[in-house]
Amino acid sequence: MSVDPVKFLLAEPQNPSCWMIWQNAIFRRYCQSRLRSKGLGIALLITILIAGFLFFILRAIGLDRTHLNPRDAERGVLIPLLVFQALILFVLGTAQVSGGMTAEADEGVIDYQRLLPMSPLQKVLGYLFGLPVREYVMFLSTLPFTAWGLWKGEVALGVWLPLYAIFITTTWTYHLTGLLTGTVVRNRRWAFLVSIGLVFGLYTVVPQMARFGLVFFKYLTITPVFFESMPGLLPRTAAAVVATGQKLAPEVRFFGLNLPEAVFTVFCQGGVILAFAAMLCRRWRRNESLLLGKLWAVGFFGWIQILLLGNALPLIDPGNLFPSREVARRFLAGSDWAPKAIEAVGMSGLYGMVTLLILYAMTRVITPSIDMQIRGWRRVRKQNHGSLPLFADASSSIGWVAVMALVGAFGWYVFTHALIESRWFPGHFVPLQVLAFFVAVLMSGGLGFHALLESKGGRAVALATIFVGLVPLMIGAILSTSSNRLLPAALWVSGISPISSPVYAAATLLSVSELPPDLARAAPIAFYFWLTISSVVTTGLIVRLFIVREGIAVRASGES
Amino acid sequence: MQKSTAIDIRYLRVDYGNYVAVDDLTLSVSEGEVFGLVGPNGAGKTSTFRVLATLMEPTYGEVILGGVDILENIEAARRIVGYMPDLAPVPSDLKVWEFLEFHAAAYGLGTRAQRRDRVAECLEEVGLTGQRESWCREISRGQTQRVVLAKTLLHRPKVLILDEPASGLDPLARRDLRHALRRLAATGATVFVSSHILGELAEMCSSLCVMNRGKLLAYGSADDVRAQLGKNEKTITVRILARHEEAASWLGEQGSVYDLRITGQELIFGFEGTADGQADLLEGMIQMGFRMSAFQEKHSSFEDILVRVAETNRIL
Repeated sequence: MSVDPVKFLLAEPQNPSCWMIWQNAIFRRYCQSRLRSKGLGIALLITILIAGFLFFILRAIGLDRTHLNPRDAERGVLIPLLVFQALILFVLGTAQVSGGMTAEADEGVIDYQRLLPMSPLQKVLGYLFGLPVREYVMFLSTLPFTAWGLWKGEVALGVWLPLYAIFITTTWTYHLTGLLTGTVVRNRRWAFLVSIGLVFGLYTVVPQMARFGLVFFKYLTITPVFFESMPGLLPRTAAAVVATGQKLAPEVRFFGLNLPEAVFTVFCQGGVILAFAAMLCRRWRRNESLLLGKLWAVGFFGWIQILLLGNALPLIDPGNLFPSREVARRFLAGSDWAPKAIEAVGMSGLYGMVTLLILYAMTRVITPSIDMQIRGWRRVRKQNHGSLPLFADASSSIGWVAVMALVGAFGWYVFTHALIESRWFPGHFVPLQVLAFFVAVLMSGGLGFHALLESKGGRAVALATIFVGLVPLMIGAILSTSSNRLLPAALWVSGISPISSPVYAAATLLSVSELPPDLARAAPIAFYFWLTISSVVTTGLIVRLFIVREGIAVRASGES
Repeated sequence: MQKSTAIDIRYLRVDYGNYVAVDDLTLSVSEGEVFGLVGPNGAGKTSTFRVLATLMEPTYGEVILGGVDILENIEAARRIVGYMPDLAPVPSDLKVWEFLEFHAAAYGLGTRAQRRDRVAECLEEVGLTGQRESWCREISRGQTQRVVLAKTLLHRPKVLILDEPASGLDPLARRDLRHALRRLAATGATVFVSSHILGELAEMCSSLCVMNRGKLLAYGSADDVRAQLGKNEKTITVRILARHEEAASWLGEQGSVYDLRITGQELIFGFEGTADGQADLLEGMIQMGFRMSAFQEKHSSFEDILVRVAETNRIL
């Protein structure tokens, strides 16, 4: 058949709104491939079997073995079902999203999708809901059991609605994590492992940070809302115990505001969802783009600082921020609890360390590769411009890293100031010169990392991370475990790692710090020594960076 | 009537680190033309195609497709471009019609019924109506190429960019492809195509360009390109009855002779010169007493030219 010339017109596209997901071509494509009767049938059979088994056996135990009243017996199924649903959407769904995305790249069909005349956001949404569509259907198939439990268990709407709303936003957060991992990591197996590792880490490692004052991180999980909802979901006897425990638990506050857990969780997760969606949209628009623009990255970094501070500061005066308070509540009677100075020092150090790690991550996201810089310079030289545009991906991110380091140091100082000058440590104060040292710590760590990355590339940074960042910490840990006599030596060796410098800064600069005598002598000297070395090395790296960039610019001028 | 320009490339450059894949390429293609891009591996063909298809940002340069600057208005450009990559992949989890229907829906090609009709049209165009219900993963390489070509035609693009579309096709399918591309060009579409089968490309294209190491070597009609690259080069075969070594030695002394070899009774050599020069050479051989039973000349083919271009790559 020949092509009819009359018909040879440019197709007039119908572009449905981003939010009409059921009209999204990518979503529909995955509905077609992932909801085929055979695969879906088996998945549903297994899901319903497990959900049904949990439902009937737990009801039977409640009604016939423990002789609970019918209402409590029905409630008994809710939490196990929720855990099962979380496994389906959080684990299987996330794995499917990251693996599916990598498979698209592996097969080579991702280029077709790039060319589709859909907006980047439409593509992101298509994949976000399309790739795990079978898992959504599996989740839906468990809902009748949950609905029965909620109805017969007489669970209030105000209990289950926020819980399931957060369940969904948490799912989106994890699925976007998987989508981003699948987009960035090219190997299918690695993408799967990294995304599942991130979800696992959120529920195991991150809660530990929350115990040390970085409360924000736990709101990236469903945990806070889950625990808040528990009394309403459990049988009455168990609910009473949990409710009593909750009365002792710290309340959620954000600066002066008392926000419900669910609202605050949405607030926290919303920022992460927005940032991840922005990263993905950039990648869909241009595959070579950096994950975030410079301004976006600084904004995101500042937003994390605000969340960290907003959560932590209101908890200082009641004492709920201190890890020992939790222990005292559970195991010690009486009200003579007071935080220890070492806790405050550790928390300040941890805050600085986490800020530095986030600074590293954001630096990685916005720093152009050498190849990108060369291309950028050639482009501006061809266009007869003198320099790269400030916000261009190819332009140096050194200024932006410095801004983030300043913002981070200020946040760290505010946190430390509020902690040390609180009612718990009378007579202690944090002078302004501490801020200068915090700036020096984050600047030397952040800018050194950046200068190495921008001038030498990712491989050099990976080697430096291993041999300068991690190995000294490992050796220090081994030395300190071997013998107490080796503690000062361990302190010196660990101090090589820039990651440890915030902890050293807190231990050295805060008047409240109480270290054993030999460590109290070694720590300040080690801190000042390594800070000086780090500053000198960073200055050298920055000088080298300028030479490299100048070389690229001159070469581009010669070529054009 | 003067045809308008469908593809306008100016000073296009693509770098991979220090490697220059495309070096200041400038060319334009008129509307309704089938334009061939020829070159050995590493010539910069695929990089050029990926830039044209908006899949890669060039280091610099300007590319206007159907009046749309692809660097300024990427989404508008994507509406008018149809791109078929080299070794075109297909998703393993879809049937042929589902793959095409997905793309038709993504391009917003009317109602479901209209999309179904368009999918059927395109399948018929590439001769795959019978494979509609087949799984993409189960069809042959050649059929896969044709499915992707059908996908590329779906939204009736103004500019078709086809990277090695004939690879994997049998001779019959190649002939059909040639006819299909000509029909498309006749309807006003501009086809930009690359191939390693150069003779075939010369047959199907109204214009050609030859690239090597990122640079444009020749550009124009098939004859223009041959003239630009091959100059007056030709291969001459002489069959002599005796004294082969002596004849070879004598020929080797002539300045216009190169690449001389003896195959049985035949002496085969390249000759670069005018018709008069060629006549003088023949006369000289007769005067030297070499008994010739045959004398044959052949102009360098596209294949010869490209082989020579590719060999320059290796030498460099």
